[in-house]
Amino acid sequence: MRRGYRSLPPDNTLDRRDFFKASGAVGAGLVLGGRTLGAWAEGDPAQSAPAAKTPPPRPKTNVEDALKVPRTARSLPGPFPGRVVEINDPRSLPEGKPDGKVIAGMFEKGVTQLTGQSLKDSFGLFFTKDDVVGLKVNPVGPGLISTRLELVDAVIAWLEKAGLPRKNIIIWDRFDYMLKDAGFTPERFPGVGLEGLQTMDEAAQEGKKQDNSAWLNTDGTHVSAPNFDRENYYWADVEGPKDLGYLNQGVFNGKFSYFGKLVTKKLTKIVNLPAFKNTGNAISMATKNIGYGAVCNTNRLHGPLFLDVCVDVPAFPAIRDKMVLNVTDALRAQYDGGPDGNAKFCYLYGSLFFATDPFALDMVCHKLIVEKRKAMGVAVNENPRFTEYLRYAERLGLGAVSAPKLTHIKA
Amino acid sequence: MKNPVDARPNALARRRRLALAAVLIAALSRRGLPSDLVLPGEGFLAGWKVAGTPRIFRKAELFNHIDGGAELFLEFGFERLTTQRYVQGTSELALEAYEMASPESALGIYLMKCGPETPLPGIPARNSSETAQFLILKGRYFVQIDNQAGDPKLVPAMTALAAALLGKIPAQAADMRLFDLLPKEARLAGSERLLRGPFGLQPYYTFGEGDILGLGGKTFAALANYGEPQGQASTRIAIVYASAAEAAAVFRGLKANLDPYLKILDAGATGFTFIDFRERYGRARVTGARLDLAVNLPVRPAL
Repeated sequence: MRRGYRSLPPDNTLDRRDFFKASGAVGAGLVLGGRTLGAWAEGDPAQSAPAAKTPPPRPKTNVEDALKVPRTARSLPGPFPGRVVEINDPRSLPEGKPDGKVIAGMFEKGVTQLTGQSLKDSFGLFFTKDDVVGLKVNPVGPGLISTRLELVDAVIAWLEKAGLPRKNIIIWDRFDYMLKDAGFTPERFPGVGLEGLQTMDEAAQEGKKQDNSAWLNTDGTHVSAPNFDRENYYWADVEGPKDLGYLNQGVFNGKFSYFGKLVTKKLTKIVNLPAFKNTGNAISMATKNIGYGAVCNTNRLHGPLFLDVCVDVPAFPAIRDKMVLNVTDALRAQYDGGPDGNAKFCYLYGSLFFATDPFALDMVCHKLIVEKRKAMGVAVNENPRFTEYLRYAERLGLGAVSAPKLTHIKA
Repeated sequence: MKNPVDARPNALARRRRLALAAVLIAALSRRGLPSDLVLPGEGFLAGWKVAGTPRIFRKAELFNHIDGGAELFLEFGFERLTTQRYVQGTSELALEAYEMASPESALGIYLMKCGPETPLPGIPARNSSETAQFLILKGRYFVQIDNQAGDPKLVPAMTALAAALLGKIPAQAADMRLFDLLPKEARLAGSERLLRGPFGLQPYYTFGEGDILGLGGKTFAALANYGEPQGQASTRIAIVYASAAEAAAVFRGLKANLDPYLKILDAGATGFTFIDFRERYGRARVTGARLDLAVNLPVRPAL
């Protein structure tokens, strides 16, 4: 199975296209004569190992446009800036199998600890009975580190019990096939909507077939292009590659990352349900789940704007004013080898984390994963740049990630 | 105790290293081109069958298989990946054989992936294995066998599959003398790593943006951790470039573009010291074609 989102790239380094070029250079043959010990390998060292380049400036984006839109009462960071509640119960995954009843109990405890109100009353803090609520899951690493179906059951049960029609609940992700792989099927969730913002032809992407008709229209556009809102977009001065593989995965390949129409037109509220895992030296949790999950044409952004996208995209009203609750699924967690599922680095954590403020949530979880990585003997680079994007969110008024507002409450 | 970071290379040592380099380069130049490895078929263990056809990814096609980690493989020198799934009833194993440019490339990626090594004695090659996953190094191959269900009953099948594959891979040891660039004293066993660019460096330290050490996916650096009397480990990195001019250029670039979270304390023509965001110290020093870096030092080093 093809693996999903890319890991954290260093800035100012080779991108995918450069690697294609580099591959060609490597193929030119070995030039080893007269080299010193460290300079083993291919190519001309005089040309291949230059001094460090001056860092490029941050590419321009249209995030300022987002910030100009007046905030609402429900805008991020929501009613509880900086407040993160952790509920731990070792009984939640006995022998690795989820216990739905225990998880439902953890969910109730978490919401009530976060809001200070009963589960029933908490509903009114976030929703009305007319809302269309999207549950943004993370299906990467299906079954291993993807959002637990039992957690989604607990959220649905809460919403339904409070009077929200089941048909007004939509489980969604960016990729339709990933939802299915992770068990989010109509059979498992009858009466609930299931939507991927886009499709991607895996077989074509992996080169197993040359026929692109499953995803590519005869006019050269992606079949999922109509699913994206051309009026609502994140623009960044970074051009997406023009090759078919990129288009298959990205839907568009210019400088625009359009929001899914599901997010802009249909959903009125969003509950974000990420998994607890790393991406390289950073984390791939609440803000990445939504930042890279709500728009298309994202791979172009990994190099120059990787973690900033986790702030910029949620800064737009389609997310900022709708995403009312975040629950990070750390029943099973992964401290290395992410963002793809990697069983070697998974462990039973038995926790759920609750917050209205996704940036505070990620700050707490980043610190926890760093401690875990240290405990497990995995290399950790603690340079503040890996959490700088969270402080950037704080400066934009989207979150509270610094003391004394940042609080981690364990129950 | 003599601090290893203060072990300045002298002329004799430099000559020895250059001689060693010549030997190693000659050895490397004799190494073979990519082979056509055929993965084990159905007979590797009774009851197991292949599922689907093997899939092959060459060079940058690797992005189509591991979009979340292809860069590190390419940086180390990736040639080809062959994958195959095997099934027995509802049980499934996935085999991935990564052919790298050299045994050193394979060693580099293996060390990056394995974390603290947990070898399984029954596997006839260097490995770090757990119930859910075997990571194996042999010759120019880095091999991964996944048991996604984590079923311990599948370990014998994983072991048999590994043995069947390893029998097809020629033994070709990586030259461990790269690590001789690093001081031995106080080195923490198992902490040795190879770097070949910014993706490999990222988990360890940030000196600045991009490929600030100028490794370019072509030059190997050796890294290891060292015990310090104060408890926390420090890290040393040693790189020998193709020429003194190249090393000097990298040194100048490093000094000029040092990460904003690092502050230079003392600077001279061939070295500088700095303090980081946790008030740990570091030092960069260039000597001929060699660049030595020490970071996470508990005590401010001499220039």
